[in-house]
Amino acid sequence: KYLDFCTSLGQSYPGKPKIIRCRSLEKETFSCWWKPGSDGRLPTNYTLFYSKDSEENFYECPDYRTSGPNSCYFDKNHTNPWTTYNITVMATNEIGSNSSDPQYVDVTSIVQPDAPVNLSLETKTSAGIMYLWAKWSPPPLADVSSNSHVYHYELQLKPEEKEEWETISVGVQTQCKVTMLQAGVKYVVQVRCMLDCGEWSEWSSESHIQIPNGESPPEKPTIIKCRSPEKETFTCWWKPGSDGGHPTNYTFLYSKEGEQQVYECPDYRTAGPNSCYFDKKHTSFWTIYNITVKATNKMGSNVSDPHYVDVTYIVQPDPPVNVTLELKKPINTKPYLVLSWSPPPLADVRSGWLTLEYELRLKPEEGEEWETVFVGQQTQYKMFSLNPGKKYIVQIHCKPDHHGSWSEWSSEKYIQIPTDFRVKDMVVWIIVGVLSSLICLIMITNFTISQTFILPPVPGPKIKGIDTHLLETGKSEELLSALGCHGFPPTSDCEELLIEYLEVEDSEDQQLMPSHDNGHPSKNAKRIPKEKDSDSGRGSCDSPSVLSEKCRESRALPSTLQTQDVRDVQENKEGKRSWETECIASEQKILLFNNESTKETTWPATQLPDNHLFAYHSIVDAHKITLSTTNVNITSFLVGNEEHQSQYPITETLHDDMEKQREMENLHSKTDQTTVQVIKNRPNDKSPFLNPKLMDYVEVHKVRQDKEPAVLLKHKENSRKSDKYTVPGTSKEYTKVSTVVDHNILVLMPDSRIHHTSVIQEPAMEMPQNLQQGQAEKNMSYCLTVPSECKRETSGSEYMDPSSFMPFK
Amino acid sequence: AALTPLPPPAGTDPATPLLCRRGAGAAVAAVAGDAGCRLLTVADLFDRVIRHSGRIHSLATALCEKRLPPRDNELGKSARKCHTSGMLTPNGTEYAQKIPREELTHLTLKLLQAWKEPLSHFNQHIEHHQELPDDSLSKAKQISNMVHELKTGVEKVTEKMQSMGIINNSLTGMASSEATGLSISNEANMMSDSDFIHCFRRDSNKVQSYLKILKCRIMPENSC
Repeated sequence: KYLDFCTSLGQSYPGKPKIIRCRSLEKETFSCWWKPGSDGRLPTNYTLFYSKDSEENFYECPDYRTSGPNSCYFDKNHTNPWTTYNITVMATNEIGSNSSDPQYVDVTSIVQPDAPVNLSLETKTSAGIMYLWAKWSPPPLADVSSNSHVYHYELQLKPEEKEEWETISVGVQTQCKVTMLQAGVKYVVQVRCMLDCGEWSEWSSESHIQIPNGESPPEKPTIIKCRSPEKETFTCWWKPGSDGGHPTNYTFLYSKEGEQQVYECPDYRTAGPNSCYFDKKHTSFWTIYNITVKATNKMGSNVSDPHYVDVTYIVQPDPPVNVTLELKKPINTKPYLVLSWSPPPLADVRSGWLTLEYELRLKPEEGEEWETVFVGQQTQYKMFSLNPGKKYIVQIHCKPDHHGSWSEWSSEKYIQIPTDFRVKDMVVWIIVGVLSSLICLIMITNFTISQTFILPPVPGPKIKGIDTHLLETGKSEELLSALGCHGFPPTSDCEELLIEYLEVEDSEDQQLMPSHDNGHPSKNAKRIPKEKDSDSGRGSCDSPSVLSEKCRESRALPSTLQTQDVRDVQENKEGKRSWETECIASEQKILLFNNESTKETTWPATQLPDNHLFAYHSIVDAHKITLSTTNVNITSFLVGNEEHQSQYPITETLHDDMEKQREMENLHSKTDQTTVQVIKNRPNDKSPFLNPKLMDYVEVHKVRQDKEPAVLLKHKENSRKSDKYTVPGTSKEYTKVSTVVDHNILVLMPDSRIHHTSVIQEPAMEMPQNLQQGQAEKNMSYCLTVPSECKRETSGSEYMDPSSFMPFK
Repeated sequence: AALTPLPPPAGTDPATPLLCRRGAGAAVAAVAGDAGCRLLTVADLFDRVIRHSGRIHSLATALCEKRLPPRDNELGKSARKCHTSGMLTPNGTEYAQKIPREELTHLTLKLLQAWKEPLSHFNQHIEHHQELPDDSLSKAKQISNMVHELKTGVEKVTEKMQSMGIINNSLTGMASSEATGLSISNEANMMSDSDFIHCFRRDSNKVQSYLKILKCRIMPENSC
């Protein structure tokens, strides 16, 4: 049916194609052409298959394009001179296909080169005999170096008006001397070539030459041009006519405007044959030279047409030199290209006599059109807006201003414009961002799950604005905050939380001030709110430098650090890391003093903020929390009394430094998020709760996830500060961890208030370290540093006094 | 030049005149710190007169090519004689660089002076030539004005250089050349239009070249 339908439309399978010819130009490649049959009124595809005599396999044409339509080109790799190729062309359309008759091809027998090129003719006279001198070049080859081929040439010539050609076998040379010519007759000459035993090429294009009559004077020479390369000297060239069969002399004559006297060329040699060079002395400007060339042989002479030259207007400089291309890659901007060059060496641009103007052109390597830029007198140019990833060709030429002509183009210079990686960078960063948030998600989810399922719910401390239930169960909160603050700039979520917290603190401060801060000037107190505001954002989300700053301070105040524990740590010499952690510890100490002794209201600003119960800035934080809850539930407590009175002097001195520190901190930008958090958290905890007089301290003895943690209450002991965990509601007395100093120590608060904040302070830095060490002991000793100090500081008070505690709700 | 120059614009020139151009062409003394008025160095002035002479030359060339197709052989058709060809002027680099600055300056002024009167005469003359295209006429007028301005400019530079001791005051003023100008302008009036334009074109190029040479001789560090 289908066939019927097709036939009714006159459609059919294609007609038989026919292989017309196969030809090799140089025995190394060959091409075959075919003539399509009828196409059956349908689009038809042609496929050329070939097999080699030694093989059974059929191959398809390697290259349908190079030799034009309906052809197949076999390049070097597909051409074997010792093989007979069996070639078939198949035409295919929707209905069917049809194959040509096979053609057998032996490459050596189908060789036919292109015709020779550049045939030039000249008449010469030697020993009174005139002859024709013909020269040509072998056919140009695209694919192969032409040197490797030896062509045989044949030349044919005839007088223009005759029909019969006279053929001369030349051999392998590319020139030929022909004698026995008729004088005064115009001849036509052609040449062709052959490669080994192949076929002759076509005849080359015709060349004509007039054989001069031996008995005549030379033809008129022609003055071709005059040029001054540097506006100081100039040269004129002429082209001789035919010499009339006799040796001919040329005389170059000139006269200057307004002068009658005729001079001969001062220098025939410097500028080569058929030229005259005028040096500086013979070159005048703003005058017109009248130039003629006289050709003379024994038969007579002939004078060229006069040529008038004003040297001012024949200045054509050499091309500029030292063209350099430099790619500049400024930060934050697209790369640009700086081109610089020097004026041609001959041109004396410094005297002001010659002023050059430049023009440059460039294009992408594969491009067709040049983009031309006129540069003016500068010898430098900046190109912006180049396409990245492209290779450009640049050339420059120059010309005297106002007159004269453009020089040749300088040699081509290439420059590769690198691809713009910024786009790539963006992609990379986006991917990194997405990945990291994914990882965050996963980890947080894990933690929350474990928390909710494994750990019994802990009655949480409450602070105004904090919903404990949400904290305990709310994954979304954690997720949000973790995503918001970890690895990304703080999100609005984060900030809001911070602000909320600020408010809380403010009230707290106000209350604290009158009761405890008597000794301090009121201006301090006044400053606080401001500083809080300004600091809060940074302090909470990006003030990494706090750590280092504090480190410095702690070092600067050896007295505070001089505890056995600190020394131990130092001795341990864990490298930088340990030192840093230590610093953190000591820093905490300092913070403690501050609060305790002076009620430094300035501190809250730095410490401020964020309650990380709300916002977990990092996974680490989240992790801590789970830990804390676990521990709290299972452990017992020891309460340590800390003496706070002793530390007063120190705090005083510290104060100023702290202020400076804070300023410094603000200046710094965040580097390490985790550290930042740690720092923030710490201050946070302390400011509200660590009123020395009010506080009792609880130490958690062993806080390890794998072991059963024990929390000891210590009295006036050297307390070790380990991770502080909030233990609200476990006992009636200590519902809150007021501070977590270092990662080992909890500061607990008596349960006098309804709202407590549970604060967890575990320096993020320490965690990994501890885990690595795997030594609980070491941990402890290391952690001891802070406590010892703290103990001293708070020595006066035994337990926190609930009533004196901040009355914020 | 008691005032220290403000940050020099282009190249630093030890001798910075406190000249400032306001509006079209007048050069006025400027007080340092006078906002909107930049200190003009001799180099700046030179750049201006050089640019100006370049424009004049371009106009002359345009006028030339309109009247005479730029065929080389036309150049020598008539043995023309310019009215200024009697003046001995440097016709090559070496001479132009050896000749004393004062003399070169003087020659430049002389050349300009020599064209002043013939140009205005030429203008009046070609106004009656109906066959001339309009823009030729306007070009010729423009040239005449510009030559006048250029002369003023070059005189200014000369004064400046003299006041700063860059060149000495040996110039005897323009009185004598004005006299010669009168005598040779008659000669100029005898020329054919095409010769006239050709000669002027040549001399405008001369003037520009001399100015460039002068500038680079006096201030070699200034983009020379």
